[in-house]
Amino acid sequence: MKKKLIGFAAVVGVSLGLAGAAHADQLADIKAKGKMTAATEMHYAPFDILVDGKYEGICHDLFTEVAKELGVEVEFLDLPWQSILPGLEAGKFDFVNAPVTITAERLKRYNFTLPIGNATVALAKKAGDGSISKPEDIAGKAVGSQKGSAQLEQLKAFSATLNPPADVREYVNIDEALADLAAGRIQAVANSMPLMGYAAVQRPGLFEMVMPPFGDPKYFGWVGTGGEESKTLIAAINDAILKMHEDGRLKAINEKWLGTAPELPTTMPDVK
Amino acid sequence: MNFSFDVIWHNLPYLLAAARWTLLISVAGMAISIIWGVFLCAARISKNPLLSNLAALYISFFRGVPLLVQLLMAYYMLPYVGLDLPAIAAAILAVGLCSAAYTAEILRGALQAIPAGQTEAAHALGIPAFSLWKRILVPQAVRIGLPSLVNELILLVKVSSLASVVGIGELTRISQNITGQTYRPLEIYIAAAAIYFLINLVISGLGRLAEKRLQAG
Repeated sequence: MKKKLIGFAAVVGVSLGLAGAAHADQLADIKAKGKMTAATEMHYAPFDILVDGKYEGICHDLFTEVAKELGVEVEFLDLPWQSILPGLEAGKFDFVNAPVTITAERLKRYNFTLPIGNATVALAKKAGDGSISKPEDIAGKAVGSQKGSAQLEQLKAFSATLNPPADVREYVNIDEALADLAAGRIQAVANSMPLMGYAAVQRPGLFEMVMPPFGDPKYFGWVGTGGEESKTLIAAINDAILKMHEDGRLKAINEKWLGTAPELPTTMPDVK
Repeated sequence: MNFSFDVIWHNLPYLLAAARWTLLISVAGMAISIIWGVFLCAARISKNPLLSNLAALYISFFRGVPLLVQLLMAYYMLPYVGLDLPAIAAAILAVGLCSAAYTAEILRGALQAIPAGQTEAAHALGIPAFSLWKRILVPQAVRIGLPSLVNELILLVKVSSLASVVGIGELTRISQNITGQTYRPLEIYIAAAAIYFLINLVISGLGRLAEKRLQAG
């Protein structure tokens, strides 16, 4: 019995040790395997969507190009947002290729890549709603946004400057907010500009953008584990992003999905 | 609101493919639930205090912690102790092990509903313990517990939707994904509801059939 216990302890110890060692240099590990796993929530059009059972979108197209640059195969994983960061920390996959807004708090815990999308907040309203023509018009109206998102914080800050402030409602995901907008329970939805624009293009009779965007300019980046082990991987991905800036692939992919290409900085934005 | 049957029709193959995961988790979970539930029930009513207390502890843990939390623990915390389960294994185990706690209590309740006089009479007649269980206690307990058991299995099908948190594209998850792309929640969720309803209709039908046979026999 005692022997068995010691044997069990040894197995646990060894596997913990291996798990630790495996994360020393992610880029080297991934290249050695020739394969990596990236997770996202395939539920965030136009960045990540599932069309007829196939993963598509801006992040799919961009990251497929990045994987080509790295010379590895990539397997994409669909996870609900609340499982993505715990999964990354538990080592269930190598990288998060979901658009994550770059904020100071998140930078403390995770390593981000260079910006891959515009995360500045814009509003969508019900098509033909004449009572909202500029962002300030949401004063006193019910506005939905996504719980835990950087865009919600921006909306709250903006709403506080209005008199009366907007009635801010929080949703688990943005589709539910859009469904409530369609049903007339709320008058506007606030989220990143590309997201709102895409919804308006997909359901033209139902949703309409309210221009211009408001709040601080924000950007989406991709995320690797915090600490040293992902530094080399992030650097290699940044090189690939810069290369795509130069040869026009970044612009072409954005134009394919958004009709326009956002101005994206080629250095890490200064976030407070 | 223009309801579109085309959207349902177009996405039905993907919903049905996702329903296969729902079915796999449900059926494998049921097998674990019933087999492990029988053992747990036996341990719970055993005269050995260690076994009985361990079973009671197990049942109170698995009934007392939300299944969603159990799933997250099975998938994201076990790797820290060196046990790295694939997502589907984590989902089936979590659903099955949790449901087994309820199954064990359903069986225990059913056994207790049989009058003690029957066991005493069997002892007095010198019927061996094995025959007592096989011919007298288990057939009656199954008949008494069946409606609650069918209830539990139907619940299990519905909680399989929680498996999306470990990355399994089961029916609820895929419905959400399709909604995210089509912006047509109404159509897609109605289709998903119909599929869940059909699966559970089959289970409750099988339950009624079993009840009839048990009553006849």
